[in-house]
Amino acid sequence: MRRALLLLALAAAAPARAQDPAIPSFAEETAPAGFTHAFTGEWEFMVGGGIAVFDCNGDTRPDIFAAGGTAPAALFVNDSAPAGPLAFTPTPSGLEETSVSGAYPLDIDGDGILDLALLRVGQDRLMRGLGDCRFEDASAAWGFDGLDLWSTAFAATWEQGASLPTLAIGTYIDRAQEAFPWGNCTPNHLYRPKTDGSGYDAPLPLTPGFCALSILFTDWDRQGTPDLRVSNDREYYKGGQEQLWHVEPGQPPRLFTEAEGWQRLRIWGMGIAQEDLNFDGFPEFFLTSMADNKLQTLAEIPPQGAPLPRYRDIALKSGVTAHRPYTGGDLRPSTAWHAQFGDVNNDGLPDLYVVKGNVWAMPDFAEDDPNNLLLQRPDGTFLESGDRSGVASMAQGRGGALVDLNADGLLDMIALNRNEPAQIWRNTTASPANWIALDLSLPGPNRNAIGAWIELRRPDGRIHSREVQVGGGHVGGILVPQHFGLGPATSAEIRILWPDGTAGDWQTLAANAVWRLEPGRAPVAVTAPN
Amino acid sequence: MNIFKDFSATLAVALCILAAPAQAQSQDQSQVQSQDQAQDQAQAGARDDRAQVLGSWYRMILELVRHTPTYSPPVASRAFAYTALIAYEATASGSDRLQSLTGQVAAVPMPPLREDGLAYDEDVILNTALAHAVDVYFSNTGPTGQRAKAALTKQLDALTAEGTDPDTLARSQAYGAALAEAIIAASADDGGAVVENLGFPMTYTLGGEPQDWVPTSLVQLQQAPLLPAWGQNRPFTLPDGEACPLPPPPAYSEDPGSEFYKQAMEVYDTSRSLTDEQKIIARFWSDDPMLSPTPPGHWVSIIFEIAERDALPVEDRVNALVRLGMAVSDGFIVNWRDKYRYDLLRPVTYIRRVIDPKWEPLLITPPFPEYPSGHSTQSGAVAQVLTATFGTPFPFTDSTHEADGLAPRDFPDFWTAAREAGISRLYGGIHFRAAIDLGLDQGACVGDHVNALKTWK
Repeated sequence: MRRALLLLALAAAAPARAQDPAIPSFAEETAPAGFTHAFTGEWEFMVGGGIAVFDCNGDTRPDIFAAGGTAPAALFVNDSAPAGPLAFTPTPSGLEETSVSGAYPLDIDGDGILDLALLRVGQDRLMRGLGDCRFEDASAAWGFDGLDLWSTAFAATWEQGASLPTLAIGTYIDRAQEAFPWGNCTPNHLYRPKTDGSGYDAPLPLTPGFCALSILFTDWDRQGTPDLRVSNDREYYKGGQEQLWHVEPGQPPRLFTEAEGWQRLRIWGMGIAQEDLNFDGFPEFFLTSMADNKLQTLAEIPPQGAPLPRYRDIALKSGVTAHRPYTGGDLRPSTAWHAQFGDVNNDGLPDLYVVKGNVWAMPDFAEDDPNNLLLQRPDGTFLESGDRSGVASMAQGRGGALVDLNADGLLDMIALNRNEPAQIWRNTTASPANWIALDLSLPGPNRNAIGAWIELRRPDGRIHSREVQVGGGHVGGILVPQHFGLGPATSAEIRILWPDGTAGDWQTLAANAVWRLEPGRAPVAVTAPN
Repeated sequence: MNIFKDFSATLAVALCILAAPAQAQSQDQSQVQSQDQAQDQAQAGARDDRAQVLGSWYRMILELVRHTPTYSPPVASRAFAYTALIAYEATASGSDRLQSLTGQVAAVPMPPLREDGLAYDEDVILNTALAHAVDVYFSNTGPTGQRAKAALTKQLDALTAEGTDPDTLARSQAYGAALAEAIIAASADDGGAVVENLGFPMTYTLGGEPQDWVPTSLVQLQQAPLLPAWGQNRPFTLPDGEACPLPPPPAYSEDPGSEFYKQAMEVYDTSRSLTDEQKIIARFWSDDPMLSPTPPGHWVSIIFEIAERDALPVEDRVNALVRLGMAVSDGFIVNWRDKYRYDLLRPVTYIRRVIDPKWEPLLITPPFPEYPSGHSTQSGAVAQVLTATFGTPFPFTDSTHEADGLAPRDFPDFWTAAREAGISRLYGGIHFRAAIDLGLDQGACVGDHVNALKTWK
């Protein structure tokens, strides 16, 4: 008996479902906001184009640093009024370097002012924040050897007892290999602080390097010590794969092996986004690539002990393959770069923003390749909303960010495009849904509690866990209060697992406010609940 | 041993020579020229760099195949075939040893005529023709590939133009371009010139019968099978599209007493007791697109390793390459025809359905029907061709994957290597035995057609 024929209508739009989420609305405000910038360059800038978002002047409004490639990098100070239109002022800052591929904010010296790690095609720099959005090159003062490589990835963690963060910098291709660059990936490096805390030891090569485009310290197995996840571009490596490094205090880094459960995966790795999507306490990973983006969830979580680093790819069943343009008529496969989870409609379910763009006139891949805004449904699947939300940019995207830029509790959106103007959108969703943002703070080193876990108890009792991290994405990151959508809830029950392993108390905080949390101290509302 | 790195080293030496004083050049030339090249000097009136030109371009295209997503194995086989045909015709046009394939192979039009009494430079002709071939047959490569092609073009143009008078240079460039363009034009309507969506159809109707292929991948594009119409392409050497047919695979059955079940159990049992050697073999011949030069590129790599070891004259190199190219290309055409004629499911589908729902094969299952095995057909075709070309026994070392950390393997002859390529698919858990054995037979049939061509005068 012949079964019914199965017709694969691969390009057909998915039908609406009863549980489809509310579609947010965004308004592009690039020109009126004064956000005039482009990441420019040819071969050495076909990757990169990262954005760093952080408050550099202490006014609680996130400012934007944008890499420029062959153009000078630029800092845009945020002048947006609360809940008002977006407004930025390009501001001299000491960061106007050329050959910058991306940047990540972090407080390296623990002085309460955020610093910036500048990744470059050439020597990287550690820029010390001086306050009022001014910076100076502190590489030499901190003993940081920026090397002369093509840097394309960054992550940081505070190893137990360290007064400075351990930095990991991923690199790409040996630029000297013009005719035969393939198989010529340069090593990544680990920068560990000297034991006396006076600066950094010489960089430790993480060999082999397989042309990393995103790296991330992650406590993926919840054992208390982050490991280093590396996503590599198979276009250039030989004998390579994705990597996971043990980085244990006082020990040389070492790769996870197949005997430890590591499974070989080879993709055009370009960006990593991490979020606990199924509220089981363990993060899922979205890995961007070219037409084969992955959404990884642990294959098995044992009742006791650590899970093995074995993942199932649930991108297809979750509807986040994002493998081809969903609008615009160019049906060639897609190229994905920056990825970030964030709840853009405040319904309590993390959504996914993916920045898209052809590498550089690659005929096998779409030229008109819209960015994705994938909204999570209650059943864990996602709905594409980029076109209906107004963010389906066809520019040659690279870096990006989802971040509340105007203190209205709604995540706004930035895209940095290659050889085209950058873009910024204000989230204008008229939504009754509530939100909360948490600004973690520690005394002494690691002022921003990198490595802490935030737990938020959902209405159904499940716990949404989020690790506070510096790294991932595509050559850029944000360091701002952690935003959660709450749906109709008017308060949130949360607790913090601090980086030293101590657990704070469960506490109930009012919605629609930014709260500063420190161990042993009462929460402080940075912005009043509205 | 990475023989292609040797080409680069040689090229670098040669370019240094160009910049060096004439006295030093004379002395150093002897270090970079093989014996065969010296034989042809009188013909070209200058030193013979054709082996170097050929090797450098082939090193490039093996990288482009690996790093350009269009190049699934069938698409790669076509690109290798036409590139080799152009290299062959360019070489044959100035050779007193080789004859043109015009009249023997439909894809080869009448070559342009050389002007009587005028000088031509064979290095320039070959280099120009290959540059045109690479531009067309590897056009889909990305920015790095384009940049690399430009860099190599510049290097080889400088190398081959050195010492050639401007008129001869221009005349030779024009001739090489015309020769290549004639073949390129003739290839435009063979059915394989346009590959969209990386070869995966936008819509596809699955068969729906228990024995029919179903997707095995979690990649969205691969929910439809690769290149379902590739078997309708025009072959180079086969009389028609029905050449080298295969019988059906064993009848589908879930009965433990059936031949089908038995062959599935062989895959399953083998996978659960794989020796280290069997794992090495599976990975050595895995030849995944985007992670290797693909199966046809693997054999091209073998040819160059032999050519360097034995210092083969350039005519012998292009003769082997063109035969190999047509063998793999025609092999994939008939193989693909039968894949979609029989539309058989993969071991991973059957074994999970009938034997063990949690079974995982060692290798990634390719996204198209199972029977016959593509690697087996094309490897059988190559073995048949290279055995006729080089003889047997013919020991050789295969270092194709050395840069990927896979140790070289030694083989006593081409058929031993082809059979190992075939059985590697069973070790890898992606093919049943029938697809391998009959695929090799099908390849031998294709190889016989290629062997019927006359290339030597």
